[in-house]
Amino acid sequence: MTTVIEKDSIIGKRIPKPDAPDKAVGRTRYINDMELPLMLIGKILHTDRVHATIKSIDVSAARALPGVHAVLTADDVPESLKFGIARDNIPLKGGKVRCTRDEIAAVAAETEDIADQALKLIKVEYEDLPGLFDVHEALEDDAPQIHDDRPGNKGLAYSHHSGDLAAAEAESDIILENTFKVHYVTHCCMGTSAVLADFDADGKLTIYSQTQYPYNFKMDLAPALNIHPGDIRVIQPPVGGAFGSKLDVYPFEPICVLLARATQRPVKLVFSREEEFINAPTRQPVEIHLRSGVKKDGTMTFRHVNSLLNNGAYTSWGATTPYVMMRTFSSHFRLQAISYDAQAVYTNNPYAGSFRGYGNVQATYCTSIHADMMAEAVGMDPISFGIKNAQDEGEVTPQGAVLNDCVFAELLKIAGEKTDFVNKMKTYAAERDKPGRIKRGIGIASSIHNAGGAKIHKSDGCGTILKLDDYARATIITGASEIGQGIDAVLCQIISEELGIPVKDVTVVNNDSAIGPWDVGVHASRTTFIAGNSAQRAARRAKEQILNYAASRANVGAGELDLRGGHVVQSKDGVSVAKLDKVLREMHFKEDSELVMTTDYYEPPSEPEGENHVGDMSAAYSHAVHVVEAEIDTETGVITVEKITSVQDVGRIVNEMGLEAQIEGGIIMGLGYALSEELQIEDGYVRNPNFRDYKVMTAPEIPEMELHFVESQSSTGPLGAKGIAELPTIVIAPAVANALYNATGIRIFNPPLTPEKVARAIWERDQGHAQAAE
Amino acid sequence: MESITQPGIEAYEAPASIADAVQVLARGDVTVLAGGTDLTVQVDAGRITYGKTLMNIRRIAELQGVSEAGGRISIGALTTVTNILDDDALAQSVPVLRATADRFASMQIRNAATIGGNLVNASPAGDMIVPLLLLDADVELASWRDGAVSTRSVALKDFFTGPGKTVRADNELLTRVTFAKPAAGFAARFEKSGPRPALEISTVSAGVAGTLENGVLSNVRVVLGAVAPTPLRAAKAEAALEGKTLDGDTIAAGAAAACDDCTPIDDVRASAWYRHHLVRVFMERLLTDVAEN
Repeated sequence: MTTVIEKDSIIGKRIPKPDAPDKAVGRTRYINDMELPLMLIGKILHTDRVHATIKSIDVSAARALPGVHAVLTADDVPESLKFGIARDNIPLKGGKVRCTRDEIAAVAAETEDIADQALKLIKVEYEDLPGLFDVHEALEDDAPQIHDDRPGNKGLAYSHHSGDLAAAEAESDIILENTFKVHYVTHCCMGTSAVLADFDADGKLTIYSQTQYPYNFKMDLAPALNIHPGDIRVIQPPVGGAFGSKLDVYPFEPICVLLARATQRPVKLVFSREEEFINAPTRQPVEIHLRSGVKKDGTMTFRHVNSLLNNGAYTSWGATTPYVMMRTFSSHFRLQAISYDAQAVYTNNPYAGSFRGYGNVQATYCTSIHADMMAEAVGMDPISFGIKNAQDEGEVTPQGAVLNDCVFAELLKIAGEKTDFVNKMKTYAAERDKPGRIKRGIGIASSIHNAGGAKIHKSDGCGTILKLDDYARATIITGASEIGQGIDAVLCQIISEELGIPVKDVTVVNNDSAIGPWDVGVHASRTTFIAGNSAQRAARRAKEQILNYAASRANVGAGELDLRGGHVVQSKDGVSVAKLDKVLREMHFKEDSELVMTTDYYEPPSEPEGENHVGDMSAAYSHAVHVVEAEIDTETGVITVEKITSVQDVGRIVNEMGLEAQIEGGIIMGLGYALSEELQIEDGYVRNPNFRDYKVMTAPEIPEMELHFVESQSSTGPLGAKGIAELPTIVIAPAVANALYNATGIRIFNPPLTPEKVARAIWERDQGHAQAAE
Repeated sequence: MESITQPGIEAYEAPASIADAVQVLARGDVTVLAGGTDLTVQVDAGRITYGKTLMNIRRIAELQGVSEAGGRISIGALTTVTNILDDDALAQSVPVLRATADRFASMQIRNAATIGGNLVNASPAGDMIVPLLLLDADVELASWRDGAVSTRSVALKDFFTGPGKTVRADNELLTRVTFAKPAAGFAARFEKSGPRPALEISTVSAGVAGTLENGVLSNVRVVLGAVAPTPLRAAKAEAALEGKTLDGDTIAAGAAAACDDCTPIDDVRASAWYRHHLVRVFMERLLTDVAEN
């Protein structure tokens, strides 16, 4: 009897996340759930000042409390242990505190209650120093210095200049100039920050971490601890969300390790929700002064950007978001010239980290609003205007990005058609000045983002180890971390596709730095692209090894065979030659036995930025266009977003279910940024460290979402796929702002578009009209 | 399983009758637990601490239920917000209670939160307080005196003395809230701020009630929440509306007067400007709605 297996594909199918059932029923064991023998609980005393000299700190009563095993202050940690990308942070602060997060003491105790009591027994005397919260004040000549070794309170700076700006200005018929102020938001991971540190008898550290970049995490953590990075093993239990917040080392992590070292016991440290709001990184707030030019015929000419970033007291990845902001300013639409400058300025505010969209959220708010304003100024609709200025396939941007597989104009066209955009926009604009408190508006925004990694480190690679066992089950050991984004399902699919075995027969191992091969980390929408390419290459090597053996066995050419449905088959007709598991066992137990185990290290064909930040730093780029339809109550200022139409270049759909979840989740996160989320920081203090007053979107507020995937078939991506995760968040806020304008004629340059802000802007305009009429 | 004992709690009581409960209260230093939706959150936040005795009143059947006698409606202190939502007869005679309950917190909180708790918590933003003030309700307070249960009745408008503060003495238990069953023609409306359909603590809440006959509004009651230290009856607005024909000018005058009645502050949820603005907007909406229906 012959078995015939037709060619089939798992790519593009709907594959549930393998971790989903356990998460849904509460079986997943997070760090919060972990307990090790003799484990202690760590707690941190954060300062209650924003800028002050510590005159004295008395921990004697805390140390004397029964059940307390260690109380550490800066005195216990040599000053030299600076960490962070600008080497300006230390785990425990002595001498002076610079922001409300500052960690001044830490306790390890037998229970959480004892640790809390111990913190209350610590007595600190301060002498307050003048606080700096505003970037302009911090740059004044006589401003207090926040760090002695950072003169003028200047942090990192970035600039990019290309094209002839003067000529481009001269050719412009209309020049727009606005200052945008984008705000603080935070990730709101369902799982608060947590870490568990454990030393073995040889002084080697095992750290149970939520990190999304386990391999470089070791390198970054080591200096804070005076430990060799090679002596750190990172184990990654499942995390309750990351979104970029776990892409750096934050003080609670070395502090927990220091407590473990001091007590010679495992120590676990978990933030409360309030601690999380105050101490977890934020999105980078920035003040952006943007001048943009356009010719009467609708050709965009130049952008001139000056921006100041409120660095806060220490430097994390937030201060590096200009890397990405300048990419948006230089490459979101075709330009003749670009001038970009950004300066991070130290203040006594909390500090920002990386956050889904990484600077592009901030930059696209500016570029997409200016595009809307330009279209109106030259009398074009935003779709035609966008298409006119969208780059073509293969075009190179001023920063050297090569836009292969570029379908930007097509996305705009589809968005226009699917939403009847131009007709609706005209209708709503005509209704704007008629009576009635409810107005309707439609708004569009677009952006570009890297979709094939981002070569900001020496390598942007990912390693894979793949093994097949005697039963044709595959295990893929990948450097790529699962942080909820769904990489495990995607890798199972890719292995399944290449080896012709069921998805359920693939196991992913990626939670232990002692086992996994190196990967740069989960960021930059890179994981499906980079880890997917590596997995595919490792699988193809395994397939080649299997087919070579099977071909010699059947006395045919390897090219005549294929793997399908758990069988080795003849490519031409699908007739089974042998079952795959049988072939694997034969290979294993024959005389010159061989196991099918392959490895791969994939380095994408991208280049690091050179001088003037020019370089084709991603192996692929992608665009997204969002259309927002909203109803605005012009009295209360409430914007009700009713529908969002998303059109995104996804390269190729790998897991349709994961893709939808990423895009919908990204849209909802972007809506919170647009409408309601704001970490209110006043004089350095967080005023709303709770979900009551920090308003994330709730289920009933989520609008209808219509998703359109355009498959550009990336020439570099695995099976044609592109990275997709950040664009949905990036493009929402300006689309909402443009819809608000369409409905009311009001432009708001400082999100979020809260009811109060909208109501006030409309009220002030109407007062102005009333006065003008008098 | 975590122990229910918290630092500071030395005794736990779960009486089955009002008489037993007020005797426990008479010992002093007792924290009363009903739904717990405000209490536990405030303890966790460190704003209040438990007394020596934690008294769970949820087993007291006398505190349950809605009843009607002698033209007055009585709502037991343990009646949950969900009970109010589900009570068709109550919604028939006093629609504003269901309308308000439908905007209260979230479904989970509504299932646990009680009317008595919402009143005793005395938040300036307490949603259920607004319709009960519109209904000119009284609260009944019980205590143990001379070997027996003693009760007194306090007008709800005189009950609140500041944020979180009421005239209830430490030895008193709020047992029920009562009000005259509204007569035919009585209209009452509630509005609160917020884009969220749930879990929105009121930035401003407002209520308007009265009897509209031949276009003239009488027995006017105006209530504002979250714009003063306590939910308040807006006297100037009531005066501006009482006995007037409810036309555009009256509505504008009533809304303007309501703005004069309140003393909102800037806080993390809104500026004083926005609160004033919303008071005017809500008053205009509520009064227009009364005039048109």
